[in-house]
Amino acid sequence: MNQLNEEERKKIIESSPVGTWVLMLSVGISMVIGWLFLYYGVFLPRGIIN
Amino acid sequence: MNDNTERNLALSHMWVAFIAFILACFMGEYQVLERSGFIEALDSPAMYFASVSTHGVLMAYVLTTFFIMGFGYYTASTSLKVPIWNKQLAWGGFWLALLGVILAAIPLLSGLASVLYTFYPPVQADTMFYVGATLLIVGSWVWCGIMIVMFLQWKEANPGETVPLAMFATTMNAMLWLWTSAGVALESLFLLLPWAFGWVDTIDVGLARTLFAWTLHPIVYFWLIPAYTAYYVFVPKHAGSYLFSEEAARAAFIVLVVFSLPIGFHHLYMDPEQASGWKMLHGVGTFVVAIPTFMTGFTVIAALEIAGRLRGGKGLFGWIGSLPWTNTMVLSIILSLLMLIFGGFGGIVNASYAMNAMIHNTAWVPGHFHLIFAGTTVIMYFSIAYYLWPILTKKPIYSNNLALVQLWTWFIGMSIMTTPWHVLGLLGQPRRISSVVYNNLMTLSWEPYELLMIMGGLVLLGSACLFIYLLVKTQFGSTTEVFEGEVEYAETYHPVKDLPDYLNDIKIWNKVIAVLMLVSFGIPILQFFFLDTYDSSAWGY
Repeated sequence: MNQLNEEERKKIIESSPVGTWVLMLSVGISMVIGWLFLYYGVFLPRGIIN
Repeated sequence: MNDNTERNLALSHMWVAFIAFILACFMGEYQVLERSGFIEALDSPAMYFASVSTHGVLMAYVLTTFFIMGFGYYTASTSLKVPIWNKQLAWGGFWLALLGVILAAIPLLSGLASVLYTFYPPVQADTMFYVGATLLIVGSWVWCGIMIVMFLQWKEANPGETVPLAMFATTMNAMLWLWTSAGVALESLFLLLPWAFGWVDTIDVGLARTLFAWTLHPIVYFWLIPAYTAYYVFVPKHAGSYLFSEEAARAAFIVLVVFSLPIGFHHLYMDPEQASGWKMLHGVGTFVVAIPTFMTGFTVIAALEIAGRLRGGKGLFGWIGSLPWTNTMVLSIILSLLMLIFGGFGGIVNASYAMNAMIHNTAWVPGHFHLIFAGTTVIMYFSIAYYLWPILTKKPIYSNNLALVQLWTWFIGMSIMTTPWHVLGLLGQPRRISSVVYNNLMTLSWEPYELLMIMGGLVLLGSACLFIYLLVKTQFGSTTEVFEGEVEYAETYHPVKDLPDYLNDIKIWNKVIAVLMLVSFGIPILQFFFLDTYDSSAWGY
């Protein structure tokens, strides 16, 4: 376990969770890309329902 | 506080839940084997549909309802630090619900209620099935009542104080379940039971499906909220961190509860009895539910990031490797969130009005709901059990390492099983079929995926058996060691003071739900009484 003093702990706890922002953004963008791929790449090419 | 009754209540409920779970797991593996057609001796549509109906009822209604009640009782008692209000009533609810399960199980197991867990008419089950299901619901209402009474009593005794987050979430879930189950209760009381008893000759299938759609979506959130509760109130503590934002957590629970209710028509996109305008309204609402899911993802991952950095993790993602991966709660949330990403994506495809046509009633749909329910949700039920079992039984967990193996194998098995299931859906394999062998090239191309699903199912079955083994060994093992730990709930770094009333009470949200339900279900239900059922509805066509 890493030994941190109270000042360092406080700094970590109160800093913005940059990694989380990047992760969430990546997941959101991946979902949009995945949706667009399914819609334009799989769904629409199948054509109308006969 | 002497909490023997609370511990017994929690254990009794959870044992019923997990016994149902293990039985259903064996049925699940049988079903994937039977459906593949690889073993001719297993071929039996009658046996298959009896099994798949029982599997669905045990997993979706018995495992969930009993787990949620047991977890809820213990959460209420430990977070509010008061005994359960009216313990006799709580036990009464337990026995009533259990009687309902037994009554429903008899026709299910004897093939007289092979109506799947959705029991859509005009497929009809034996009367005893509907009576049993109704008793299970009524038993769960007892739990809802007790949770709400305890919430209100605590607020009255502690004016101006913030209700603990765990209890706020539990009470919101109790309120959600009362609203959710009202749809299926109306369907049972006014349509299914009179029809099953033979008091009426016909049944309005459109109305029945509409009422079931009222229940069918929010019930998923009823199952999911205990998992989200663990995300917020257990995970940060186990990871060595703090709850990132109490306000965000409460807002997520509120939005989840309020918007999970008026959106059920995305299950009816292909049905003729509702107009496309109403379906569109519900479809848009469905996407709103993605907001609290993202909020939850952000809040709990942020808590994990803080934990990882406090443990020495550096860089943009270095904190992930520093997390305590050997803690069952931490491991399970990581695996749960991974499954939520893929399951959530599948849900967005389902909810997309046009694209739904591509996967509607295909194997994609059970692939999706297994990933969300049996994956995301149930893996958190496991870790809650691993956390609570030592506290409830006063004995240490039998083996943390085996528990970690169990969680990993559940995740791996679920990934192996649900990925080909989704692919099969895109290839056009229908759901709700007892056999996929038609001896043509298309169905032959499904075989490798079927084989993968069987393998995935086997891994899951092994994992489920290991889970039960660990609970049994923990509770009934020969150890003399006494476990003294108590439940600990995560808190924010800066204690929350003066929360606005709308983040600390359920009354206002009850009214909001009532308005939204009136808007989204009022005319769609009333139309059945004002229009000829063979005619189209007035709006949207």
